[in-house]
Amino acid sequence: MLLEIQNLHKIYNNGTHALKGISFGVNEGEFLVVIGLSGSGKSTLLRCINRLIEPTSGTVRFLGKDITHIKGEELRKIKAQIGMVFQQFNLIKRRSVLSNVLNGKLGSLSTFDTILEKYSDEVYKEAYKCLETVGISEKAKVRADSLSGGQQQRVAIARSLMQSPKLLLADEPVASLDPATSNSVMQYFEKVNKEFGTTVICNLHFLSLVRRYATRVIALKAGEIIYQGAPSDINETWFRTIYGEEAEEVEIR
Amino acid sequence: MILDPELELHPQKLIANRKRKADKFNLYKAIFLDIFFVFYFILVVQRAIYYKFILNLSDLPFSWNEILSIFIGSVVIGTFWALSKTSLSCKLLGIAKDNKTTKWTVEIFGWSLFNITFIAGWIVTKISIVGLFSSEGIAGAERLFGAMFTPQFRIFDDALFAMIETIYIALIATLISIPPTLVLSFFTARNLMKDNKISFAVYYVLRIILNFIRSIEPLIWAIIFSVWVGIGPFAGMIALLVHTIASNAKLYSEAIEGIEQGPVEAISATGANKIQVVWHGVVPQIVLPFLSFTIYRWDINVRMATIIGLVGGGGIGTMLMQYQGLARWHEVGLIIIMIAFVVWIMDYVSAKIREAIY
Ligand SMILES: Nc1ncnc2c1ncn2[C@@H]1O[C@H](COP(=O)(O)OP(=O)(O)OP(=O)(O)O)[C@@H](O)[C@H]1O
Ligand SMILES: [Mg+2]
Repeated sequence: MLLEIQNLHKIYNNGTHALKGISFGVNEGEFLVVIGLSGSGKSTLLRCINRLIEPTSGTVRFLGKDITHIKGEELRKIKAQIGMVFQQFNLIKRRSVLSNVLNGKLGSLSTFDTILEKYSDEVYKEAYKCLETVGISEKAKVRADSLSGGQQQRVAIARSLMQSPKLLLADEPVASLDPATSNSVMQYFEKVNKEFGTTVICNLHFLSLVRRYATRVIALKAGEIIYQGAPSDINETWFRTIYGEEAEEVEIR
Repeated sequence: MILDPELELHPQKLIANRKRKADKFNLYKAIFLDIFFVFYFILVVQRAIYYKFILNLSDLPFSWNEILSIFIGSVVIGTFWALSKTSLSCKLLGIAKDNKTTKWTVEIFGWSLFNITFIAGWIVTKISIVGLFSSEGIAGAERLFGAMFTPQFRIFDDALFAMIETIYIALIATLISIPPTLVLSFFTARNLMKDNKISFAVYYVLRIILNFIRSIEPLIWAIIFSVWVGIGPFAGMIALLVHTIASNAKLYSEAIEGIEQGPVEAISATGANKIQVVWHGVVPQIVLPFLSFTIYRWDINVRMATIIGLVGGGGIGTMLMQYQGLARWHEVGLIIIMIAFVVWIMDYVSAKIREAIY
């Protein structure tokens, strides 16, 4: 099993109990989608997995290793193996697309070389390959903030591919994109998942996207898992349980 | 799922505890503030308004006993006032009771405090409308302005040379300030230093030192350094340098605190270490603001270098001081025109450059 989470709790300093005993496992090659209302704890869960934040209790096992409370060098080694894509793309706006992609390699290069931006030819080649994977290598030299939202998100995917990640996390990667662009960006996640066998865990809002891309779904509500199963099994009743009685499904194509 | 009761209770309790502690601390602060307000109020009313204005005494009677008894009185009044939670400071610190008494004390006492301060200020400044518009005074000013508007161009060469010296003093101070300022700004940016106790202590101590240095005007630094290294351009340059480092470190570190956190987080999520995160995540976001602050600072330093010259920091200011001492107003006129011209040009150029970078 690639990732194993047991009885995970997260309480923020202000007292918010964001995760209340989450347990699940993820096998290699899965495309797991996490759904749930705003504030249900989806981002918190992803951040506990790549340890941007430290869980309050419970365990996170990655490749059999307990990473719940590791620190320092050990933690950086783990982070280097887990890619993450954010809703707001989080690129360095004033730098070129290429240097943004190269940033994905920081974890495995020496500090000195990266400060002088001395990258070997292989690293450059790899960066171009990652850009080709997301179909945007012709933009390598332009400034990141001159790209459209969808293109920026693809650069962010390329940046995380530079890590040759075992696991790719995506926190609502298409929430700030229009429907057509959303689909095209999601297709790149699918491609990475299918072609490289990279395991993907992705937070999503739209059920139509979930049905199309997920191999398995977990639904969170107020910090607890209330549904776990195949995307096709989410029927009307489950939908109302997850999103509340008032909810109505919106199609996105 | 059954939860560990500790887990369930702990945060809420923690928050309640923190709030209680904060309130208690605020009450202590309120007591001190109220004592100060009352003490200040009584002193100002008694000394500035009663003795000086109403009795019109030229020598104010002074005795430590009197001051001490006023202080003790203020301590008693201030303490009880704050403890009753109806005082001005309680209101300021947000721990006052919400009732009519509070409202009245705050309004009446607050207003009186403001008014007596204004009145005392007026008396102390010896504001005199008569002095400003007396015919004698105006005649003097006319003579002076007349001389200035007919500048003496014979000293133009010397003045130009002194002006260039001033500009270079400012330029060198600004350039040398860049590396230490950069280093200091990273160590005084809260978001980079708050993670562990040691770095936070460093942050705190550096902040205090820089605040202290900044609170001393360049003019005073120039006096200190002209004693230290001798009167001249070097003293002026060091004075500017010290003040520039302290002020720009603050501006830079605020720029660092204001950067977008998302990209920084994204880079630390790739497994980059702290130095890499700062270099690749923070630095690219701040080079332009840094450049812009630095250019602006050069502009400020040219103006300050002029002033510093007045106390022996070299350049055009020193020259101005000499001619002013000799009451040669035509020469002074030329120097002032040159200063105004250069300052205007610097202002314009630095604004243009800053516009261009953004
Ligand atoms: N840094 C933080 N400090 C305190 N509370 C937080 C913090 N981050 C999130 N929370 C709280 O934790 C809960 C879960 O937040 P989280 O961001 O994980 O939800 P989410 O499912 O990702 O929501 P969204 O769809 O809006 O992104 C919310 O109540 C939120 O207010
Ligand atoms: Mg979220």
